[in-house]
Amino acid sequence: MNMAQANKKNRMTFGTYWEKFGTLSILLLILIGFSIASPTYFLTLNNIKQIGMQSTIYTVLAFGEFFAILLAGIDLSVGSVAAFCGAVCAKLLLANCPVWAAVVLGILIGVLMGIVNGTLINLLQLHPFVVTLGTNTIFRGIALVMCDGKPVFGLPQGFKAIALYVGGFPIPFLIVLVMAAILIWFTKYTVAARNMYALGGNKQSAWYSGINTRKYTLLAHTLSATFASMAGIIMTARVGAAEPTAGDGYETYAIAACIIGGTSFFGGKGKPFGVLLGGILIGTIFNGLSILNVSSFYQKIALGSLIIFALALEKVVSNISAKTEKK
Amino acid sequence: MDYLVQMKGMTMKFSGVVALEKVDFDLRPGEVHVLLGENGAGKSTLVKMLSGINHPSEGEITIGDKKFSYLTPNMSKENNIAIIYQELSVIDELSIAENLYVGKLPTKRILGIPQVDYEVMYRKARELMDKMNIHRSPGTLVQDLSISEKQMVEIAKALAADARIIIMDEPTSSLSVEETENLFKIIQQLKAEGIGIVYISHKLKEIKQIGDRVTVLKDGRYMGTVDVKDIEVDDLVPMMVGRKVQERFLRTTPMEENPEVLFSVRNLTRRDGTAKDISFDVYKGEILGLAGLIGAGRSETMEGIFGVRPISSGEVYLKGKKLHITDPYSALKQGIAFVTENRRETGFFQNFEIWREISVTTNLKKSKLGGFTGLTNEKQEREQARVYSEKLHTKCSSIDQMTVNLSGGNQQKVIVSKWLAVNSDVFIFDEPTKGIDVGAKSEIYQIMREMVDAGKAVIMVTSDMAELLGTCDRIIVFSNGRVTETFMNADATEEKILYAAVAAY
Repeated sequence: MNMAQANKKNRMTFGTYWEKFGTLSILLLILIGFSIASPTYFLTLNNIKQIGMQSTIYTVLAFGEFFAILLAGIDLSVGSVAAFCGAVCAKLLLANCPVWAAVVLGILIGVLMGIVNGTLINLLQLHPFVVTLGTNTIFRGIALVMCDGKPVFGLPQGFKAIALYVGGFPIPFLIVLVMAAILIWFTKYTVAARNMYALGGNKQSAWYSGINTRKYTLLAHTLSATFASMAGIIMTARVGAAEPTAGDGYETYAIAACIIGGTSFFGGKGKPFGVLLGGILIGTIFNGLSILNVSSFYQKIALGSLIIFALALEKVVSNISAKTEKK
Repeated sequence: MDYLVQMKGMTMKFSGVVALEKVDFDLRPGEVHVLLGENGAGKSTLVKMLSGINHPSEGEITIGDKKFSYLTPNMSKENNIAIIYQELSVIDELSIAENLYVGKLPTKRILGIPQVDYEVMYRKARELMDKMNIHRSPGTLVQDLSISEKQMVEIAKALAADARIIIMDEPTSSLSVEETENLFKIIQQLKAEGIGIVYISHKLKEIKQIGDRVTVLKDGRYMGTVDVKDIEVDDLVPMMVGRKVQERFLRTTPMEENPEVLFSVRNLTRRDGTAKDISFDVYKGEILGLAGLIGAGRSETMEGIFGVRPISSGEVYLKGKKLHITDPYSALKQGIAFVTENRRETGFFQNFEIWREISVTTNLKKSKLGGFTGLTNEKQEREQARVYSEKLHTKCSSIDQMTVNLSGGNQQKVIVSKWLAVNSDVFIFDEPTKGIDVGAKSEIYQIMREMVDAGKAVIMVTSDMAELLGTCDRIIVFSNGRVTETFMNADATEEKILYAAVAAY
């Protein structure tokens, strides 16, 4: 009895350890791996800044995606929302709109698109997968129509500054850190976030406990699209132009960052800090493989393998802890 | 004497809990052997050993000259045993004939290609159907049949499989009087053919009508086997119900002269017809029991009160004040608590620890706009979880344990804590002790009794007669979406309640 209890305690701490530090461990392993493979280029201050810059878009998209997945749903439209909001922002800037106003309006458009997603899901009672699969194409189409399929050039320097450095630190990554801090606070200390975890854990129980499931579905998708719009604006500033085709397929990276970061596809589990690590991990892999001169085609293969690896590992770990629980 | 089957010393343990202890049972050709006992007496556990679903922990089954320590579903079939469950297993989308011969359709070859021989199948089916009094074409889809006809198809299917032993699990539970008589006629025919029938029932009246011998089970133990012709039905009652000590959790003091009405429902009606013009009151100091058959509209009415599903009309009053409930959130805000029937599906959160579980409702209660505002307070939440776990004696390693890893009874206590913590005035319990062990059951009743003593209104929906009569001070009976009777506990008997429960069908 005592032995069994002690054993159980040990195993449980292993499970807890993995939940807490799993993503971090993988990230460290990969960092060490790349550092050994390419000590002269990879492990430099400049490159680390570069990684921060490269991770930004994935991470910001993933922050939004996190909420959709937390509710056991998904948002496939984040890439299109990003492109569309970037394009709106760029168009506004070309119409001599002040930078702050263009950014705010760009984000508001994102909010609106999130409301469209959430409302459709609630109204039609369809799975978010189906709805966002559709709106992804629709939003992309609208962006293409609006830009006539061509990139929007000639953005003011004041806007492009969003993607520059301050004190040697990449501003986009600074934004990511601020977002992460806010999200960590939000998920830990607000009733709204707690209710979303509850809803993700068991939708029926949530409803029977007094949680308005529709309102929270709407909130989650609004948050998702809002973060996507911010990602789109940062992306536009960094490229210096708004491409209506930008961010195509980026939902994959957003989802991957969430999953690698420990967000459960079944809902109700995950932390923004893990998502942050997941986003950085993806940025690091792309960066490191580029330095090693691996073609972008192979990079995709590597990332895909990592996603499956991370999930399989999580499964193995949770199986182990489930077995010990039973005993 | 020949036996179709003999079972000796059958014992069944489910993870340490003894569900059946040293039960003997046998069946002769051409007899109806009634298996009698209350819910949970072990009747189903025993017959599931025959159908191969339960593998006995101890005991021996003898069929003909073969001895088995257990049966599998296939072995059961090979030994000509058929079971007809309450939930019929006919396939709605197939025709009667296809149902009868599913898995062994008669075939013929045309140009060397085997195909279903409908002519033969329909002819054979017709013979069986005539015997069963099914006056339909063999090609009729089963979904177009009445429940009674479906049951006949099920019996015919057993015959088509050459069953010598047919087990019927409460076959008359959903039949009308005429349909029951028809069934009994069929049973007589089967007897004449030498088929043995195990007839599970808790309806005493039927025993004299149809039974040859009766075996009584109580709390998983064998109480004896008697010939029906030697006894009066009433003699069986003590064997069935004379349980050790029926724990009672009723009021020990009489109610006040004119008790205060805490909670009232007036003319509650649901559009889907599951609740029609329901009105009742809950008095201060009483546990109100809601009796009725499954599907009588009790849960639906409760869900209507709690705002889970909308009602089309009706009012709800708490201490004389009209409540405006549009969804569970507004119900929670106005002091209603709902402990649902299915803990796993609608009760708790698989991803939450005890302390998070309990704080779901408290956070909602103190926040505004449906929980969009407000901050959590982990310290306070943990404290309240500790307080309630202690108060309700929730057995857990700590309040950091996941609710899902607790036993059923303790899960239920956590759920109750959730609603106690928001200081709800009206507690609705829907089958609160389903799947909960005996010890935890008494604790739940105790908690309910303490609640009413503390001035809360408690409504309990339950299908467990012992629970209803042992816990509820007053009982209202639902039948087909209506309230048909109200009993004070002292006046209530199982029979009266059952009679009222079928009154509106």
